[in-house]
Amino acid sequence: MEILVYGTINSVMLALYALGFAMVYGVSRLPNFAHGALYVLSGFITWSFLNSLGLNYLLSIVLAILATGIIGALIYQFVLIRVRGMEISEIMASYAIGLAILEGLRYGGFKGMTYTLPAFISGSTEIAGVPVDYQRVLVVVIGIAVVALLWLFTRYTRIGLALRGMAQDERAAMMLGIDSDLMAVTAMGFGSMLAALAAILVLPLGNIVVESGYNILILAIAVCVVGGLGSWMGAVLAAFLIGFAQILTVVYLGSHFQMVVALLAIILTLIIKPSGLFGRQKELEERV
Amino acid sequence: MKTRKLRILWVLLTVVFFILPASQVLAEKTIVLGCPLSTAFLYGWDAERGFKLAVDEINAKGGVNVGGTKQMFKVEVIDTRDLEPGVPVSEALLAVEKLILDKKADFIMGGPVRSEAALAAMPLLSKYKKISILTTGVLTPAYSATVAKEYDKYKYCFRIHGEAKNLVGEMFANFSELKEKYQFNNLFIIAQDVSHARGAAKVMETVATKKGWNVTGVEIFPTGATDFSMALLKAKKTQTEIINIWMDMPESAILLKQWYEMKIPALPFGSTLAAAEQPGFWEATDGKGEYTLCNVVNAGNAPSNATPWTMKFYDAYTKKWGVEPEGLGTSSSYMAVYVLRDAIERAGSLDPDKVISELEKTDLMGVYGRLRFDPKSHQVIPSIDPKEGAVGSILQWQDGKRIVVYPKSIATGTIQLPPWMKK
Repeated sequence: MEILVYGTINSVMLALYALGFAMVYGVSRLPNFAHGALYVLSGFITWSFLNSLGLNYLLSIVLAILATGIIGALIYQFVLIRVRGMEISEIMASYAIGLAILEGLRYGGFKGMTYTLPAFISGSTEIAGVPVDYQRVLVVVIGIAVVALLWLFTRYTRIGLALRGMAQDERAAMMLGIDSDLMAVTAMGFGSMLAALAAILVLPLGNIVVESGYNILILAIAVCVVGGLGSWMGAVLAAFLIGFAQILTVVYLGSHFQMVVALLAIILTLIIKPSGLFGRQKELEERV
Repeated sequence: MKTRKLRILWVLLTVVFFILPASQVLAEKTIVLGCPLSTAFLYGWDAERGFKLAVDEINAKGGVNVGGTKQMFKVEVIDTRDLEPGVPVSEALLAVEKLILDKKADFIMGGPVRSEAALAAMPLLSKYKKISILTTGVLTPAYSATVAKEYDKYKYCFRIHGEAKNLVGEMFANFSELKEKYQFNNLFIIAQDVSHARGAAKVMETVATKKGWNVTGVEIFPTGATDFSMALLKAKKTQTEIINIWMDMPESAILLKQWYEMKIPALPFGSTLAAAEQPGFWEATDGKGEYTLCNVVNAGNAPSNATPWTMKFYDAYTKKWGVEPEGLGTSSSYMAVYVLRDAIERAGSLDPDKVISELEKTDLMGVYGRLRFDPKSHQVIPSIDPKEGAVGSILQWQDGKRIVVYPKSIATGTIQLPPWMKK
């Protein structure tokens, strides 16, 4: 039972890490390697609003999510737009921005293990005899709600439909009057907000440290590669595959193999089905 | 007009003949302490602060007397990043070499901090004949064993803080007491996948089995792991009473919060548990770190009256840095500078062979007890009595305070159990 409970928790967390990355790539074909850095940055922004400015926790969260979204949009508008379409340059530019954010935070004194966000609800409960803290329960509930809202958003709102249109066929979308750059900057903004949401939900479980930015990026990439780059639902499915694989590895093989799972998943996917479970990239090459 | 010109000439002559040579002399009279430290981590910045405090104190009193001339200490720090996941050992070696060649370090102090990197740096120190005093991180017994095995080659390497063997001994002293007092018998070991922690976990398992403990599990977590639920549930299922933790990664805070939230009926007893060493741990965990025990390697890293110097150092550090001594490398880094000064003054020279000889004769009552090096292994001699040797320090978080519970000679309290463990 504990495998089911903690497998689900782990999977939802992975889905939260990856959704923003998948959205940006899906819409603008831009691999946002600054994703992990935006995750950490949003944690520190929330912390600063809460502790330095003394704002209310909920207000701090809302402002931090908005601020991260704006930062993401600005990154696109002022840097990434110039290299759009040049894959290597996109990776290098976004990774450099991520690095600058993380090292800038470290240089600015955000180091150590004492930067934390309070849990939304303290305490724990038992699910089928397995003890789980309320924060993790909340992560699952909000995580599922986010996936559901994202699904509804991309099907029943004008912006959502435009984003989907872009993700499916950019040229056709442009012919229908959808502004490609506007959608790309919107996706980057939403993707960054999703990174911030993941951070705000998960960081109260531990502490805010710069190094986690690199881990989050690797996990997000692993999930998106397995799920198929650009596929949001593929990312969710892949998160569950990797999430449960990690927990099963801990139980049956040993906890020190836990991190290998995500990296192994990338390698296996690239060997067996480079486009991932639901991805369209390289599909033609695979068929040929 | 003529007088003015003469004045200008006089000033220029003064600059050329007096001030410039004087500054040259001053520049020559600096002893450079090269510190390769992982500065973004607790074990790096606490050491840096310890060094700087000692250097400021010594320089304020006129510096070091080297064969009749006073010389000032100067600290040069390079970030080795060796505590960060994925950073190769070669980065730390480059930092050491840069300190020696570019910064002209006379002595290497502090790190590299990770055991793997410190072991790899030994041949480099030997090549450049640079004396190194390790003060933080590096707990592997292999370090002092290597010096003892190839003394002529590695005689430049000293370590002034306790090693894993001492820490294991100190922990078992407490385990035995808990066994006697509460009939504890089940031990679960959680370690980080790094050299010293893996080694320590292995030693703990072997020693525990020999001492009649039932080792209910050993879990090794990769650096950066963020979920410890399965290990904690395993500990709970096996009726574990003590969870022994060897983990210096920041994510250990997640482990401790999970332990608290899940109300696991086992006492978290850590070593190199960096997250719990910091004074800010209580606020950071919103009090969920209560009852966590951790070994901070040497006295002075938590408040106690081990020696008359302990609280003087503690207060001076707090005054200078606005925070209490934090990690396991604080008091040892501070003392290393004093020990080095002592050896240099006795040697009357900076010659490595002479200073090594005097370091081996060190006998100084410091912040964490009597400091002496084993002449063969260059490891500081440990003790449970500060009058006899370097004493360790185990603290427990109780009601927002870091209470020293071991060794008894310096303890300010006793181990408390969380309410959900009381039978």
